[in-house]
Amino acid sequence: MHKTARTLHQWLMLFLGLQFAIWSVTGAYMVYMDIDFIHGDDLVITPQSKVQPAQMNYSLQQLIQAYPHIDKISVDTLLGETVYRLTLADGESPKKLVISANSGQVLTPLSESTAVSVAQYFYTGKGDVAEVTLITDNPPFELSPRHLPAWRVNFDDFGSPSLYVSAHTGILVGKRHEFWRWFDWMFRFHIMDYSSGEDIDNALLFWVALLASGGALTGMVLVYFRVFKGQFTRRKKSRVQRVGVA
Amino acid sequence: MRWVRKLHKWASVIVGIQFVLWLASGLYFNLMDHTKAAGLSYFNQDMVQHQLDATQLIEPKAVLEQHSDSMALDTVFLLAKPYYLLSHQQGLYAHSYHEYTLVDAYSGEVVTLDEALVTRLAQASYSGEGKVAELKLLTPPISDFPKQQNPTWQVSFADDINTEVYVEAQSGRIVGHSDEHKKLADIFFMLHFMDYNNQGSFNNVPMMLMAFFSLWLTITGCYWCIDLLRKGKYRHKRRPRIKTTAIKLP
Repeated sequence: MHKTARTLHQWLMLFLGLQFAIWSVTGAYMVYMDIDFIHGDDLVITPQSKVQPAQMNYSLQQLIQAYPHIDKISVDTLLGETVYRLTLADGESPKKLVISANSGQVLTPLSESTAVSVAQYFYTGKGDVAEVTLITDNPPFELSPRHLPAWRVNFDDFGSPSLYVSAHTGILVGKRHEFWRWFDWMFRFHIMDYSSGEDIDNALLFWVALLASGGALTGMVLVYFRVFKGQFTRRKKSRVQRVGVA
Repeated sequence: MRWVRKLHKWASVIVGIQFVLWLASGLYFNLMDHTKAAGLSYFNQDMVQHQLDATQLIEPKAVLEQHSDSMALDTVFLLAKPYYLLSHQQGLYAHSYHEYTLVDAYSGEVVTLDEALVTRLAQASYSGEGKVAELKLLTPPISDFPKQQNPTWQVSFADDINTEVYVEAQSGRIVGHSDEHKKLADIFFMLHFMDYNNQGSFNNVPMMLMAFFSLWLTITGCYWCIDLLRKGKYRHKRRPRIKTTAIKLP
């Protein structure tokens, strides 16, 4: 039993050892890095700027006259200014609009300079804006395609942070930095998904994990024989012999 | 090599059982049905059709002036009816702590979710056959949704998998569904993340300790493996006696 377990353990681990190392390293990264930090929660403020009803000189009636097919309406702030956000029913374009509640002026799609201001408004770091890009298709893997079109504002700072601002709504739709990007890679390697990063139910992972379970269980058998059973046999056998078996 | 082997042995004593648990739970994640594991067995996918009659809406300015300061006013549809949801305090995520007021968007009346409305909201998001068995207003922490930081109604349905629908008390938002499938999956997540305090996170001290010892276990294991390879041990597996003397030499 002991020898069979050792032979099996040696041979299994010859092929699985690298994946065990990958699991340990990637797992350790994910465990040691605070998940809220990874999500970039400290990259941005939680805006608490208040809606100013006194500024709302453009009335609902005027809105309805200008946009008869309103599907959804909300009021909040964009860079401190009180705004209406409209979702228009199908058949009209663009579907989403931001309108100044004071003047009725349409503020979207966002210009580059407004997008930069929004990103800076949210950003808690001290770095300067390094690069601004409008992404209309083929988003990077760190941005969901449903947020397009969006402005990507890169900051020159620790971890190369990027904030993503929706061009249609001015809403902050993404906050990423290098640690998130690494985390994403770590996760892919952890679940052995070398395509999309979503499929935990891939066949490769199944077979490797199944064999790895054999590797771990034979390892446990060895622990039993060498550590726990060894306690009782130590008196009978000399130390040299014990090392010889090991 | 002696220290490598010693480290390997004692690291495996410490993390051995957890390694088996990690692999077993990992295999479970690999094989599980994700819809069931997310508690969505009886989740009603069909969105209730809503039609907004903007001409009937109360002026948002008037609503905002009547209530305490708000960060936002949103239109939400509960059972196809429009409501204004005023956020007096906002969080970064939906589960973060919020303070809301819910206002009927056509009449301007403040709406507090009562048991009848909560029941109907839960039923609308439920596609199973079970009847509502029990309603409970829970305050966080909520074991099925550990991240949720707002008071939440738990609506229990009498069905084959004991579905529970969670409805946020102030906003009427459906937080999620839970059932026996999700609770089973959650046990495996707890084992995999060593999240024995149910914080819904893997950034905990036992996990960090185990990760530390696992690193030593795999590093020494890989080193050992390479050492055996270099000494050609993988050829003579049938003759363990010769192998053991060779290990002793260095």
